[in-house]
Amino acid sequence: MAISPPTGSRTRLAVLVAASVTLVVVGLRDMPVVRDVREGAASITDPVEGAVDTVTSPVRNAWHGITDYEDLREENARLRADAEEAEAAEVTASDAERQLADLSLVLDLPYASDLPEVVARVVSGPRSNFSHAVEIDKGSDAGIAVGMPVATGAGLAGRVTQVTASSATVDLITDPEFRVGVRLATTGDLGTARGQGRGDPLAVDSSISPRAQIAEGTGVVTSGVDRSAFPPGIPVGAVASTRQGSGGLALELVVDPLVDFDRLSYLTVLQWQPT
Amino acid sequence: MSARRWSAARAALVLVVALILQMTVIADLRVAGAIGDLMLAVVVAAGLTGGADRGVTYGFVAGVLYDVVLDTPFGLSALTYALVGYAVGLAGSALVRTSGWWPVGVGVMAALVQATLYTSLGNLLGVAYPFGDLPAIALVMAAWCGLLVLPLIRVMWWVHGHSEPDRLEVLWR
Repeated sequence: MAISPPTGSRTRLAVLVAASVTLVVVGLRDMPVVRDVREGAASITDPVEGAVDTVTSPVRNAWHGITDYEDLREENARLRADAEEAEAAEVTASDAERQLADLSLVLDLPYASDLPEVVARVVSGPRSNFSHAVEIDKGSDAGIAVGMPVATGAGLAGRVTQVTASSATVDLITDPEFRVGVRLATTGDLGTARGQGRGDPLAVDSSISPRAQIAEGTGVVTSGVDRSAFPPGIPVGAVASTRQGSGGLALELVVDPLVDFDRLSYLTVLQWQPT
Repeated sequence: MSARRWSAARAALVLVVALILQMTVIADLRVAGAIGDLMLAVVVAAGLTGGADRGVTYGFVAGVLYDVVLDTPFGLSALTYALVGYAVGLAGSALVRTSGWWPVGVGVMAALVQATLYTSLGNLLGVAYPFGDLPAIALVMAAWCGLLVLPLIRVMWWVHGHSEPDRLEVLWR
């Protein structure tokens, strides 16, 4: 049978596609109306979401019980081994912490761990396959504002992009649109890290010579250079490998994030705003 | 209230409930890092039962609703859902009464197409959605859509009614 839609259908398609394209353009221009609409919607949906979450938690728990059982068993064994290692590493870490504090003082940089912070619970994960944002249960009433960095005990997790009175949206560093200025902990070389999607490492565009040798496991922290969106010294990840950047003039670093994004339950919002 | 207004009210209810379920339940049920898309399944069911007109309308409205609660490019879900809803509506009109299980096939195809379209258009707009993630996303979405489309067709019958029995109805006998 031939597919031949009536003219009215084609007209409706044209109108709605044109409307969609208009919305895309409005969104791309980052017009305040889009943010206002999204914040308004969040203030309506968050309470409903919380209530439905409570009702539907048995379904989700059952699902996780089925799909995550093996992972949890392995993680449990790994955590036991990690705890033993952590005891031994404590002495070394305290010395490294003292050195880092000294270095920060010398460089006249604010020390990230001295920043006021708000701990919030993650109430929902990414809502679509193409979203890289999570919701937390604290908002402007707790002093959270758009742009504030968000971290876990392991390192940088993301940035606040939307706030209501009682909740906030955090864009994770895995988002392909996410950018953060970083430096190598060993050499101080600067670069820009960008997300490459859920479960994928970060890519760091640097100005490091392609001939330079960067050791695997080298730490990467936020650079905090002038007017940076993040304070300096927040751990971001560890170098997994290097490759030639586009044009072959500089190295591109492949960096494994320190934060386990599959197991986010609490996040710390650092009450820091770019100057 | 007229029948038409009742249909519109029921349609709004279905879309809002679908959105809430998507945000609270489906979004948490990850397989291989990907989740299903209940909103798309609703659009597919609407297109299959009501043709291209209903498909594109549901696609646009469902997409706008979804875009409002996401952090992804605004309007992109509306655009892709509208196109997919229209195509599904055409397919529904052309293929009706050919086989009892064809809605499942159409649903699976629609999910594959929507995931590909979304990734491609996102990249055109400058968001570097990795194409490497696409197979897992498309397959999980296709599985969910195939699973949900038949119950949702029944929901669409509740919303809009249906005047004559056809092969879709046979599935429920």
